Parts: sequence; C-alpha cells; structure tokens
Amino acid sequence: MAFLAFTDLTKRFPGVLALDGVSFAVERGSCHALMGENGAGKSTLGKILAGVYTADTGAIQLDGQRIQPANPLAARHLGIAMVHQELAFCPNLTVAENLCLGDFPRRFGFVNRARMRERARAMLAEIEAALDVDTPMSQLSTAQEQMVQIAAALGSGARIIVMDEPTSSLSVAESEHLFTLLAQLRQRGLTVIYVSHRMEEIFRLCDAVTVLRDGRHVATQPISATNHDALIHQMVGREVVALTPRHLEREPGEEVLRVEHLASPGKFEGISFALRRGEVLGFAGLVGAGRSEIAQAIFGLDPRATGRVFVRGKELPLGDVNAALAAGLGLLPEDRKRLGLVLSMNCRENTSLATLPMLTRLGFVRRRAEQALARKYADRLRVKTPSLETGIAGLSGGNQQKVALAKWLARQCGILIVDEPTRGVDVGAKAEIHTLLDELACQGLALLVISSELPEVMNLSRRLLVLRAGRISGDLPRHEFTQPGILRLMAGVAAPPA
Amino acid sequence: MTATAPPVRTRRPFQEGGLLVVILVLGVVLTVFGGSVRVPKLQRTATGEMERVFTTNAAGEKELVFEERNKFLNSQSLAQLAKDTSFIAIMAVGATFVIVSGGIDLSVGAIYALASVLGAMVFRRFGPEGADAASGATGAWLGALTCIGVATLAGFANGGMIVALRVHPFIITLGTMAIFRGVAFVITKGQSIGGFPEGFRSLVRWETASGLSLVPLGVMVLVAIVGGLYLSRLAAGRRIYAIGGNELASRYSGIRVERVKLSVFIFSGLTAGLAALLSLGYYGGATSGDGQGYELNVIAAAVVGGASLSGGRGTALGALLGAFVIQMISTGIVILGIDQNYSQIIIGTVVIVAVLLDQLNAWLAQRGFAARAGRT
Repeated sequence: MAFLAFTDLTKRFPGVLALDGVSFAVERGSCHALMGENGAGKSTLGKILAGVYTADTGAIQLDGQRIQPANPLAARHLGIAMVHQELAFCPNLTVAENLCLGDFPRRFGFVNRARMRERARAMLAEIEAALDVDTPMSQLSTAQEQMVQIAAALGSGARIIVMDEPTSSLSVAESEHLFTLLAQLRQRGLTVIYVSHRMEEIFRLCDAVTVLRDGRHVATQPISATNHDALIHQMVGREVVALTPRHLEREPGEEVLRVEHLASPGKFEGISFALRRGEVLGFAGLVGAGRSEIAQAIFGLDPRATGRVFVRGKELPLGDVNAALAAGLGLLPEDRKRLGLVLSMNCRENTSLATLPMLTRLGFVRRRAEQALARKYADRLRVKTPSLETGIAGLSGGNQQKVALAKWLARQCGILIVDEPTRGVDVGAKAEIHTLLDELACQGLALLVISSELPEVMNLSRRLLVLRAGRISGDLPRHEFTQPGILRLMAGVAAPPA
Repeated sequence: MTATAPPVRTRRPFQEGGLLVVILVLGVVLTVFGGSVRVPKLQRTATGEMERVFTTNAAGEKELVFEERNKFLNSQSLAQLAKDTSFIAIMAVGATFVIVSGGIDLSVGAIYALASVLGAMVFRRFGPEGADAASGATGAWLGALTCIGVATLAGFANGGMIVALRVHPFIITLGTMAIFRGVAFVITKGQSIGGFPEGFRSLVRWETASGLSLVPLGVMVLVAIVGGLYLSRLAAGRRIYAIGGNELASRYSGIRVERVKLSVFIFSGLTAGLAALLSLGYYGGATSGDGQGYELNVIAAAVVGGASLSGGRGTALGALLGAFVIQMISTGIVILGIDQNYSQIIIGTVVIVAVLLDQLNAWLAQRGFAARAGRT
C-alpha cells in the first residue's frame, strides 16, 4: 500500500486543462520530485495536495484513507504543509507571532509573550535555524522566511511537506543549507514532495521522480533508474529543435535606439548599447541583474534614471512614459496580470488600451474602428477566444500574452521591449510567440528580448548582452553563443584557461 | 472556435435588468400592501385652480366628496418619490465615476452643504430683501454659478490633494468631509439662509398641469444620460474603467492616471453642486447642516447599482436605479406604516444584500464560463 496515492486527478482552470487524469504513488519517507516544464501542472498538483486548490475529479489517498483537503488549514490537520513564496505570513508581525499565529499561548486571555517567544525559539531550534524571534517577518530574507515556514510546518506536526521551487530565489550557500535541512527531515521520516525543474538538485536530493507534461503524467521512476537526458526527453516529449529565426537572413537596418550610460541608483549603471531596425537583441542575466529595471528606465518608468536615450537620433526625456510611447516604444512587461492587462476588461478593450487617442472622434471611441482593430490583431496573433467581448481573465496564459502583445502591435510601435514573453505560457503558445517575434523582426521591428530562459534568448537573438549585478558583463554576437560561456558571464566566473 | 471564424456578436447582458426587476417588485409590493386612503376629491375650476368637490346630501347640507386613492400608485406620490430620488441619484452618478476609478468620495455631503450655503448667500443678496434686489435675473445666474463653481472647486481640491500628496482618497475625503462642512458652518455661523429671487425658485418648482414638479427629475435624467455616455462611449470614460481595473497596467499603456483621477473627483464635486442647486431652488433655504449623511446614501446607491468598490465596474444607469431602490425603501417604510426608526436598519441591510447578490451573480457567471469551457 502506497503512503500517498493520486488517482486520476483532473483540474481545469478557465481556458487551460492544468491536470489531466494524473495517477501515481509516493513512498513513505521518500523525497519525491515533481518535474516538468512551465505549465506542466506540477505546482497545481502540489497546491491540490496542500488544499490551496481542489481537484475537479480524481482522488488522493493518504495511508489508505481518502482525503480531500478543502483548504490549507484542513491539509495542515491531515499533516500536509506547503512551503512556498506566495502564501507567506503576516509581514507586519514578528517571527514569534507568526509561528504561534493559530494558537497564541494565553494567560487570562492575554497573549503570554514570554511563552510565545520560548515556543518559537524551540520550534526554530528543531531545524537549527539561528533567527531572532522578535524580528518582523518583513525584514527576513527569502531563505530565512523559508526556514520559518518549515519550522511552522514541523511545529504543526506535518508528515508531508510540499516544497514549490524552493531554491528559485536562494543563493548557493542558502540552497546548501536547505539541502542539509531536507536530509535531516527525511531521517526523521518526513515525506517531501519536491517541485523543481533543476536537475542537479533532483539527482542530489530525491529518491524518486515523477514527470508531468502538459498536465499529463509521463513517468514515475526511482531516481537511480533514470538520468539527465532521459528526464529532459520525458519533460519535453520530443527532440528539442533549435529554431533558426528567419530574421537572421536579413541585414538589420538603420540604428533606431541608442542608450548611453544609463544608470539608476542601486539598480544598474553604465548601460550603453544600440539597437537597429529589424534586429533582435537579447538580454540575459540572473534574477536581480537589472534586466527588467533597464527596460523600465528606457520606457520612462524610472524617475531616478540618468543617462541618455536616443530614438532615431532624437533624445528621449527620461521618466516620461508618454514621450517614450510617442517615440514609438512599447514594453511587454514581465508580469502581465499586474502590469500588462486590465483583467476586468475584455479582449477588445485590452487591445485598444494604448491606441485610444487614435480611435476617437470628438472624444468618442469609434466602436467600428476599435472592433476592426481588435479583430485584425486577434486574427494575426491567432488569439483563441470565444469572442472579442470575452473577459481577458478567462483566457489561458498564452492567449492573454498575445492580447498584451496585440496592444503594442496595434500602436504600430517600431521598438518593442519584451520582458519574459513566454513566462507561464504553455508549450504550444510559446512556439507561436517565438515565431511571431521572428516575423515582427523580419518586418522591421527592433526587438529587445529579456528572458530568464537561456535557450529562449539564445534562439531568438542576433546579439546578446549579458548582465551581471547591474552592469553589462558581455556583448556576444550569435556565433559566440554557448550556454556555458553565457552562464559564466552571468555568474561572473572567469573562463577556464584555454 | 478560433478568431479566424466569422465574428460573433456577443451582446453584453443587460446588467441593470436585475435592478429594474427589484424596482418593479418593490412597486408592486407597495401598491398592494400600501392600501388606499380616502382623500377629498379635487377638480380644476375654470380659472385653472384646484378646488374641493362638494355635493349636497339629502338634508340639503354641502358635504365633501371623497375618493379612494392608492397610497403609493398615484401621480403625486410617484412625483414625490422621483423628486426625492433625484438629489441622491445625481450625486450617485458622480460617486460612480469615482468608484469605477477605484477611489471613494466621502465628502459629497459636505460639498453639497458648502455649495448650498455659498450659493444661498449670493441668492439672498439678489433676493427680495437683499442689497441688489433689483437685478434678480443676473443674481439667479450668479448664484447658480457660485453653487456649481464652489462644488467643482471642492472636487478639484479633493482630486488635487489625492494626486499631489499620493494619499488614499478615503483619507483625503474623510478630512475634507469635515473641513468643507466646517467652512460652511463658520461662514453661516450656523444660521439658515433664505430669501432667494422668486424667478429662480419658481423655475425649479415649475409644475405640470396636474401639479407634478419635474425639474429635479429632468436634471437627474440628463445627468444620468451625460454620465452614462461619458463612461461608456468616450475614451475618457474608458480610461476611468482602465485605471480602476489596473492602475499600473494603465500607466504602462500611456494613460495619464493622475489626470483621470483628478477628473473623476471634479465630476463628483460637480454633481454635488447640481444637487445642491436644485435643493436651493426647491426648498428655498440652506444651512451648514444640509446633506448630513448623504455620502452614505450616495455610495449605497452606487453600490446597489452595481459599482464595485475595488474599481473597474459600475454604470451611470445602475447608480440611478440604485438610488431609486434606496428611496423606494425609505418611502415604503412610511407607506407601509413601519416605525420610522427601523428605516436605517432596513437600508443598511439592503446594501449588504445587494452586494451579496452581485457577488453571487458574478460567481454564477464564472461557473457558467467554466462549464462552457469544459464542453469545448
């Protein structure tokens, strides 16, 4: 009898089938990896187990008992806890208060602060975390916050801990500490579900691995029975074909954007580069290297930026979005739900959002023209939606991203900055967006592509700027693109002697 | 289907349909349960005045003729209802602008009072007992201009501070709510102000042949139409929905968020000024205590009318109908003979129930969407 078994689990979100009949089992006391590409359904599965979502159909069995956690608290009572970054604690309260949140030690109805601190210290000592329990939660680093979450999970008697991409924003040393802790937890008989797409971690930590692809179960196997290449093959499901963009066949045109000594205090400095018509320039760098910040500064969203930006030879005033827009710049932001789209509006309204002044007569929106515009770009970008009047919130990530892109194409902008253009987008839509960006470059659009996915920028770009800690650490033409070389520039490690 | 198929014209469901149903139901309830009263029968004389009808009974004495009249469903009480609603409804349209943009304006009642008393002081100067009684017509214009101008400026002050100081509208308008009313009190020293030019008053109190006063009603309809067109058809209105739906994304799309915010507070002030002007003409006097608690009725009307306090949703027609629902309940309490003291409790309950129904509706719509997505 398996300790934890998933049977035919299905979960649908508006527009996406996140999980499609997934079944597998997890052994007691094991560290079980869940792997898959973005949008494969691994986080959804973890969240269903932890009670954040409920499955549409299918069953979960824990120790032979059928369970159906309706909310995170119910999951906690079943001994299942999740460690992730979104659902943290109350940032305004201290570590001790957060650790005792559900059950404050009381005396005559008042919180007994001394006992609360004592209990919190004991909980942290369990996992050998050296933290001051009186620190406000908001002052902790991500790694420290994770420690507190793990301490809280253990304190509530968790038997299963779900970890969702725990190392995605940790430094190397912090990750090491986490791995040691996880090893200890397993010695105590805890079962860990480890959601990640980092190979090295999986092979180091886990006993078994389950691979999901596009919401379907692909394989569950002991880690000893598989290897790096086999896992990649299972995750992708086909050979990875490197796209050869057609825009490379043409010579880029005249220079349209020149950035000189762009700097913003505490974010980046000394950024200079030029971009030509029909050229695709990639920005690579680790999280926090300043990629998105530079894009925002060029687009006029950083009031503290200094330096000079020229568009077609004319200097652009910094810190003025409307000047940037008038000069023909567009920015597809990294976080489309927060920065790119108005979720309460429909496809048509989102498409025309940046084009309204061109669609009005005497202040009135010309409805026919607006509809025609939205229709044109929905067709061109192959947006899948029941109608243009459908609320944008109901579309899948890929289609939302296409609408966010349509907004800028509708404006006929000549220079487009795309920040993580395929984040949270399923595999099919991703390929479509890549082809589309290539087409746009062929038509003469100057593109600046920012992405954390190295293969993405390497595939698309003609030239690549590597950023490290807010500075340009490398400027590579396409024939010099190699993954190890770029990674070294990103991390600031010297190249091995030739 | 994909976007390459022929376009499907999906009509937006008529969002205010539910409110119309509520109003009809309330109307029927009041008509049926309100019962009728015996009132003296009136008739119009040859000179156009109303007089009571008498009859001569068997004993040869003159006696009044009575007729049965439904307490609710008669032209007098319907016109009364419309007039009472109009003040709140006009301001509710303004409040809807603010709420759709993601803000809130608590100071409308105070702006109403301030505009009333300042307008009243100008009117009195040109009134029968004023210093410039001779030029009553110009006076009426000046008074109206003062009333509306002051209210617009007050709205500008609200919006300006919210934008310049980057403080949440709740805080700013909570402050100005006290400040504007305080200014009104200091200026009038708590005295009521009356004695306006007759021309102005008779204009607002103009009645139809059957004794219905329709000017406030007309202004209300006009404000609702203009506000509705602004929100739904103008690019400026679209920008209000955009910043209410997602301020950051709007900024990223080149919308000048500060201007839009400023405009909605100016509009809210303007509607408070219009309502104040109508009340000056209708009641012929003003004190600094006027419009006390209006902000709650106005916000309640907008919310019952479907405006979402988290921004991005709401219509002018909804605000108008919401105001009717609230006023009908107040009127209904009187007609049904329920203790007046319960009216606040009932109205408060209605606001909460309306919002719950709206959420239920949104939830059902979402479920419907999920079900449709599941079939394809």
